[in-house]
Amino acid sequence: MKRFLSITRDPIDEAGLVAGRTLSSGMGAAVYFSGVVRGQEGADAIVALDYSCFIPMAEHQFQRLFDRLAQRGSVESVRLVHRIGRVPVGESSLWIEVVSAHRAEAFAACQWVIDEMKQVVPIWKKPVTAVDASIPSNPNPAS
Amino acid sequence: MTIPVTFWSYFAELAGCSETVVTVSEPTTVDGLLASLYQAHPALAELRRSTLIAVGVEYQDGGYVLKPGDHVSLFPPVQGG
Repeated sequence: MKRFLSITRDPIDEAGLVAGRTLSSGMGAAVYFSGVVRGQEGADAIVALDYSCFIPMAEHQFQRLFDRLAQRGSVESVRLVHRIGRVPVGESSLWIEVVSAHRAEAFAACQWVIDEMKQVVPIWKKPVTAVDASIPSNPNPAS
Repeated sequence: MTIPVTFWSYFAELAGCSETVVTVSEPTTVDGLLASLYQAHPALAELRRSTLIAVGVEYQDGGYVLKPGDHVSLFPPVQGG
């Protein structure tokens, strides 16, 4: 199974990722999901989320998830990009694509990776209000 | 032996620092280290039931026996996506 992982402070180039898709002739499904920061966190209006990450462990845990995904045998490729640092409302914090032969497998695998990520990958988010936004986010991506 | 400990996310605010070093005798488990740590950082003790523990880049439970060179990380439930 082909895999691509990026944990980045840069905006996610969704168009570039879609344009860069490769799939073999036996593949009939490419499912991708983009997680976008909402303008509310609970009852509070926010302007962004600050994501922090324990990067070496996050990369390791993502690779373990991909290993488990590969064992399912039905996925040709997975590509995942997680943005960290300050992500404004309306922008994507997560992009994932799964390619497989059939849509049921692709949808299920995409959902599975996201569900598992939310259990084991050490990434955290902190709401940023309009008042908070006047304070710079932590420039250290590993904190 | 000395074990470096890193606090992630809001655990760093509760601890008042992002890193510390704990001196423990051998053999000591993660639970033994936490007992020392919670004395110095009681605010973290209140969250012990939801605390996630890693040694290096692997999750471990309280029974893990620490060895020289281990690096422990403590953090709250993860929230990616």
